[in-house]
Amino acid sequence: MTGESPDDAARRNRRARFYWPVQIGAWTAYSVIGFFAASSRYQGSRTDLAAGYACYAVYSIALTDSLRREIRRRGWRTMRPGKMWPRLLASVFAVSAVQTVLIVIVNLAFAGRQSPFVEDKIQIAFVFLGTSGAMAMWMIYYVMFTARWARDEQQAQLKLALREAQLRALEAQINPHFLFNGLNSIRGLVIENPARAQDMITRLSNILRHNLRHDVRHTVPLSSEIGAVTDYLALEGVRFDERLRVRFEVDPAAADVKVPSLLLQTLVENAVKHGIARLPAGGDVVIRASLLAHSVVVEVENSGGLTEAAPEATQVGLANTRERLRILYGGRATLSLAARGVGRVAATAIIPVTATT
Amino acid sequence: MRALIVDDERLARVELRRLLTRHPEVQIAGESASGEDAVAEIAKLAPDILFLDIQMPGMTGFELLERLDDVPAVIFTTAYDEFAIKAFEVNAIDYLLKPIAPERLAAALARVKLPAPASGTAGPHLAQIFVRDGDRCWMVRLADVFLIESEGNYARLCFGTERPLIRRSLNALEERLDPVTFFRANRTQIINMRAIQRIDGSVGGGLVATLRDGRAVEVSRRQAARLRDQFGY
Repeated sequence: MTGESPDDAARRNRRARFYWPVQIGAWTAYSVIGFFAASSRYQGSRTDLAAGYACYAVYSIALTDSLRREIRRRGWRTMRPGKMWPRLLASVFAVSAVQTVLIVIVNLAFAGRQSPFVEDKIQIAFVFLGTSGAMAMWMIYYVMFTARWARDEQQAQLKLALREAQLRALEAQINPHFLFNGLNSIRGLVIENPARAQDMITRLSNILRHNLRHDVRHTVPLSSEIGAVTDYLALEGVRFDERLRVRFEVDPAAADVKVPSLLLQTLVENAVKHGIARLPAGGDVVIRASLLAHSVVVEVENSGGLTEAAPEATQVGLANTRERLRILYGGRATLSLAARGVGRVAATAIIPVTATT
Repeated sequence: MRALIVDDERLARVELRRLLTRHPEVQIAGESASGEDAVAEIAKLAPDILFLDIQMPGMTGFELLERLDDVPAVIFTTAYDEFAIKAFEVNAIDYLLKPIAPERLAAALARVKLPAPASGTAGPHLAQIFVRDGDRCWMVRLADVFLIESEGNYARLCFGTERPLIRRSLNALEERLDPVTFFRANRTQIINMRAIQRIDGSVGGGLVATLRDGRAVEVSRRQAARLRDQFGY
């Protein structure tokens, strides 16, 4: 699951550490008790009996573990009780039937056809019922222990969904300064340069459309992000005139690589807002993308200082972007902001090149 | 009235200039693309009104106003900062949201209150200053100030119920105040003579002036003589 956070992983680890000792310990104890209870009545070899019960323990551990995996895979534990219980009950009998068949096979292997156990059909029925009882106990404990986990899981999923919705809303939000200053510039252009004004309206429409389509879980081809950023910078170019200089250094091989939507736009927006807009003489923004063996490096470098350029709002913005990268790629993507020489700042994102859905 | 347009975006200045052609009463004296440039232009042109953008690189519109000695009438032009302007306490400055609607511009111009006639022509005396104390801002007409107190290198202006500090020494301020209105009562206080309600004698030849708000201000012996002359008391 791509959306697993470190919290989820830690919770899973704690559960795994708890599960195995209990699973193995309980079935071993059950089998040892069964062995001693049976040995007083059993006339055959003690070793055979012990071997039989050892097999019983191993089968039980393996069977209930596969049962647990299956329950999780099918998501029965998060179903409503009316749907969950019939399934759990049926699975108890199914697993018990398998166990009974296995016991019969073991008996045949050890004692052969003339085993009194195999002859006696009532014995087999008792084994089935006894095993069903043990399996039912196992199921009751399983449901009890997982009750809290299931609730935690649901809450964690809800929290994740909520956070995703928040991130989405934040990121898709058009910077109002950009929007209204841009519209004001276009209003001025309408008379001064009607053709350019038309072009700018088209570009603004492209940006709005790009942002409205945005989804936190979406990845888009890098070329499409570059297109959106080109439109964005063209509009900012109208506002800032010659104060904003832009350069693209994009490896053509990286054009089709999938990157998170709005990632590049967020970085470029920060570069303009915290870099260029603060410099009376303006500056330049360089957008780079290069393809490595298993990742793509996307970088936005701009004129400006880091201390001045990194107020709380940027940090929050970066934190949101990092969180999104984690939702999409787990820990495999990174984002850093660092000074690059005097008077320059670079934001660098390294994103794994794999098909994400 | 003579106007100066201050905005870092060329097209924004072009657009405002065009909108103002419908208002022949406004002559555009000049344009500035930065706060620094505007400070010099204001000193040179002494405009009656500023059209002022808030977000500018180097110096914001607020910082520009703080740098001015005497402040003309101001209309802010802004894309999105109206919240900052709405936070103004007293004498709210008008603002226009970009893109600017012609009707809003007309309404704002109709409301412009030019400071006392003496100013605007860069008269020697302060008429109106911009004060920022923490998050709060005021456009203060000096006529409304009844008392100014020295606090080290700062001065505390008292008007209405407000008492903000400004970054000017009492001596520097006194030089720019109208001596007909303002009177140096003692080493640390300047009072507005129109705010005096009562004057009483005090021991040692001094006087005590009771102000509008009930405060009693000691007038030193030396200054008391001047006050007596002026009031014929």
